[in-house]
Amino acid sequence: MDTQNPAVLVNGDLLRNYVGTRVRTVIQVVRPDAGGLTGRSTDEKQIVVKGTLPSPLTTFVEVIGVADTAQSIRAEIVTNFGDAFDTNNFNQLCQLANGDYRHLFI
Amino acid sequence: MDGRFSYYFLYSVFIITAVPLLSTQSSVEKINKTMNFFSESQFDGGSQAANSPAAAANRDTFGLIPLTIKQIGEASHSGDDRSNFNVSGADVVNVSVVGMVFNIVERNLDVTFTLDDGTGKLDCKRWLNEPFDRLQMEDIREGIYVHVDGHLKSFKGEKHVAVFSVRPVTNFDEITFHFIACIHNHMRTSKVQKIQGDGENMNSIPKTTIQNGTNGFMSTQSSQNSVPFNFDGVKGVDQMVLAYLQANFGIEKGIHVDELAKKLKLPMNKIMESVRTLEDEGVIYATIDEFHYKAVQQAAV
Repeated sequence: MDTQNPAVLVNGDLLRNYVGTRVRTVIQVVRPDAGGLTGRSTDEKQIVVKGTLPSPLTTFVEVIGVADTAQSIRAEIVTNFGDAFDTNNFNQLCQLANGDYRHLFI
Repeated sequence: MDGRFSYYFLYSVFIITAVPLLSTQSSVEKINKTMNFFSESQFDGGSQAANSPAAAANRDTFGLIPLTIKQIGEASHSGDDRSNFNVSGADVVNVSVVGMVFNIVERNLDVTFTLDDGTGKLDCKRWLNEPFDRLQMEDIREGIYVHVDGHLKSFKGEKHVAVFSVRPVTNFDEITFHFIACIHNHMRTSKVQKIQGDGENMNSIPKTTIQNGTNGFMSTQSSQNSVPFNFDGVKGVDQMVLAYLQANFGIEKGIHVDELAKKLKLPMNKIMESVRTLEDEGVIYATIDEFHYKAVQQAAV
């Protein structure tokens, strides 16, 4: 039982509030880069991910890592989330998880 | 296979659009209707995420409660029975968690692993009693997302789950859905708490049938309140009178109708009318004289 190292559920907008802390988000892969990838968050913001990626990459990936800046994450774990994912639901979940229901998550 | 998981998507959409509306009573009803609708359809038997309100409210049958690991960490022991837990006021026995698997240790008789859902880490143990158990665990590898259903236990202050089902997540909308279900469950049990709390004040602040309408889905809660929510055929004023008499059940000689009129701030003719009706229904009776009445029992069953 350990709640010491949580990862906050964020979307593109919320990422800027958690720079320097551990976050998790799901993004759509736009293109792979050297050393990572560039993706689009569930609220249409650009996010750059640095780290090792699974191969092959699916359309959506979940990134868990530390937020470097308001637009980039240094990934610890990148997980393939398939080619079909409901971005709207996830986006609203992020807002709820950081709003009224924060206490259930962090 | 896909058909089943498309339910998660539809389900999430319903919940997601309805959660912001959950500040009003009627929306709670709408949510519960939706939940009931989906629980009747072909849902995965192992994870009963849509607990119908009646089942959850009934103390004797505990459903599978979707929780975040943070919520589990905050669960306290409920009452005298040290084997049950209490999460934000509701009893919890079996839990449903979705997270990533780490530290799988396989032994002869059991498999242990740690589950990380981003809100915390939880120790899980899966006993290998039958061939099915071993077969199920073969699919579980390090670093994958799984859905775990199990019995919440505590040992030396540390909580862990005795798992009876683990399955890999294949449609990742399930992760979004699980967290939404956690929020929904929390909202529902907190609302029940609030309404029960208000229920205690019911006898001094009597409400009319409007209260009945909005709390219709809580009919099974009535045993915990002295106000008869599901008392058919009894209208507003009658209910107030009955509630007052039931609240003062301990007074042997009964309550005088003058007191009823004064306390409930109602005209005497209305009181007398109610008293006659209730007497005919058989829920109150006259005691020392025709002006004193007493309820037949303390609370409606």
